[in-house]
Amino acid sequence: MTQPAARQPVAIVGWARTPMLRRTDKTEAHLLFDVVTGATEDAGITRADVDFSCAGSCDYVAGQAFSFVQNIDAVGAWPPKRDSHVEMDGAWALYEAWVRLQLGDIDVAIAMGSGRSSTADPATIYPMEMDPYYLAPLGADALTFAALQARVLLDAGLVTERQLAEVAARTRGDARTNPYAQVSGEYDVDALLEEEYVRAPLRRHDLAPITDGAAAVVIARGDRARELTDHPVWITGFAHSAEAHQPGVRDLRTSASARRAAKAAGADTAPIEVAELQTAFTHEEPLLAAALGLGPEVALNPSGGPLAANPVMATGLIRVIEAAQQIRDHGTQRALAHATSGPCLQQNLVAVLEGDR
Amino acid sequence: MTTYVTSTVRFPYKRSLGPVIGHFMTELTHQRLVGIRSGERVIVPPLEWDPDTAQALAPDFVEVGPAGTVRSWTWVAQPSAQHPLDRPFAFALIELDGASTALLHAVDAGDIAAMATGMRVAPRWRAERVGHLTDIEAFVPGEQPVAPAGDTGPAAEPVTMMNYDASITYTTPVPATQQLVLRAAAEGRLTGLRCPTCGRVYSGAYTGLQNACPVCALPLGTEHAVDLPETGTITNYTIITPVQYPGQTETEPFARVHVLLDDVDSVMAYQPVVDLPNADVRPGVRVRAVWTTGEEGRQELAGWTPTGEPDLDDPSIVNRIF
Repeated sequence: MTQPAARQPVAIVGWARTPMLRRTDKTEAHLLFDVVTGATEDAGITRADVDFSCAGSCDYVAGQAFSFVQNIDAVGAWPPKRDSHVEMDGAWALYEAWVRLQLGDIDVAIAMGSGRSSTADPATIYPMEMDPYYLAPLGADALTFAALQARVLLDAGLVTERQLAEVAARTRGDARTNPYAQVSGEYDVDALLEEEYVRAPLRRHDLAPITDGAAAVVIARGDRARELTDHPVWITGFAHSAEAHQPGVRDLRTSASARRAAKAAGADTAPIEVAELQTAFTHEEPLLAAALGLGPEVALNPSGGPLAANPVMATGLIRVIEAAQQIRDHGTQRALAHATSGPCLQQNLVAVLEGDR
Repeated sequence: MTTYVTSTVRFPYKRSLGPVIGHFMTELTHQRLVGIRSGERVIVPPLEWDPDTAQALAPDFVEVGPAGTVRSWTWVAQPSAQHPLDRPFAFALIELDGASTALLHAVDAGDIAAMATGMRVAPRWRAERVGHLTDIEAFVPGEQPVAPAGDTGPAAEPVTMMNYDASITYTTPVPATQQLVLRAAAEGRLTGLRCPTCGRVYSGAYTGLQNACPVCALPLGTEHAVDLPETGTITNYTIITPVQYPGQTETEPFARVHVLLDDVDSVMAYQPVVDLPNADVRPGVRVRAVWTTGEEGRQELAGWTPTGEPDLDDPSIVNRIF
């Protein structure tokens, strides 16, 4: 993988999230109104200053064809502006916005992610996004794929059920200081291990909550970023990679695509202090930490991660926000944000974020 | 108090299978399992391309199984409506004998205690097979495939298509503005929302759901409601020749028009017409609302009928979208 010869420096300059709720009575467009207003205000600009917008959402989650067209009202569609949409997590919308700024002709872009998972039983939505011949007809849902991968790790001796409970207890404990956490608190690992399986070998604490929510991130190029803020969070590496869709053809003990994305983003060229990973299931944390080359010195998901709030289609973008917040507000110098999509971590995205030295 | 509406969306997909998956499905009707060769590997279920190199694979099929080994599994204590069994079962990645990869399927083991990584399983076939992954009802513990009584035999012709008929039941909030628009309509009134910033007035058909000013990017609420006039102008139209898809009740070509109400800034979209022949539908026709009275005096907007006024002479009116 070759790097572009002259890459445009691009920084995160503002962001916003909605409250993370089990069920909101707001429409997806209204969630986006709130975060677009919040993120542009955070960046010190108005909607009129945004040159390009890209949203990530999913019609199957919304329960409506072309649902993203209605969401455009939130962006400020007048005067007309360049707009795009990905049927993926908002982290990939941010990737497209970042690529768009690389062209060098515009300065400011906004990326959004939004989803109301309360619309329907997620177990009936997820199969619609799977291989329609071999996977969807079985109704194979996210929980099924996660549990199959968790057992592979357990059988290989790479994790124990106790370690998974420890991940749950640590992240939910950390989430107590996160105002955007939906699930947080003090948990006793022994007590957690007493609980029944929801989908063996996974227990309730191994799963992320069902969350409605949205997020938006404003990015700006070079000089414009410095003009807007004294604390730009530079995106110094950004890459994503996918592998085969069928979990049955992959080595589920690791994630080849996560490793490739981290390498391509240059994550290994200097120490990472904090990593925010899109781990909707406990076992994904040790798996991804190993694949991404993150050692015990790296603080993993200090926000609580997706186990604290999981607004599908925005969860990955919120990892970027949490990592950026570590740099802007907590003195971290170099952080990694990760997002994932597809069964058993099929596709993985890595952003490396750095503060001004 | 938020009002929610529940609706079930069906997805009755018909899919063409292509030469590789089609062959796999056809073989299922013969109670046979096949993979495809890719170098040293045998990929099951077969794919058209090598998953690592993306090279197209020659149609070099290999019979595998029917028994296999469970490489991973999970216990589904509470099956969903889309799952293949309606009682607790296991999903498993099954490496069929002779295969290099694993097939996802259900294992009907009765109890979680019967499941273990490395256990041997074999398919239980359906009596009536159509060339679908669920021609295998489930795998069962042991070495021996289970063949049902009353077998209807293999497919007479190669299987080329499959049905995938899923449904999702959605529960979504109804915006207060939409409730207001619908309540007003039931009383025979047209309602819209006025943006407090730019003063534009949007017809309820647009803002009832959207409840926002798209120009100012400003959310609007019921406090912005205004009554709308019942006269306007057709801005655009289409004549639809109905094809018989599920839910289509029309049989003859019919018109749908956009109506721009007087002093309103967004059209009422896809409206029916009343006493206006298809041949006479055109942009510029002046129209008024026609209401019918339903149960308990409930008013319903039947459509739009000509007022008899001269056409509005504004060719640019057709350029509007909403």
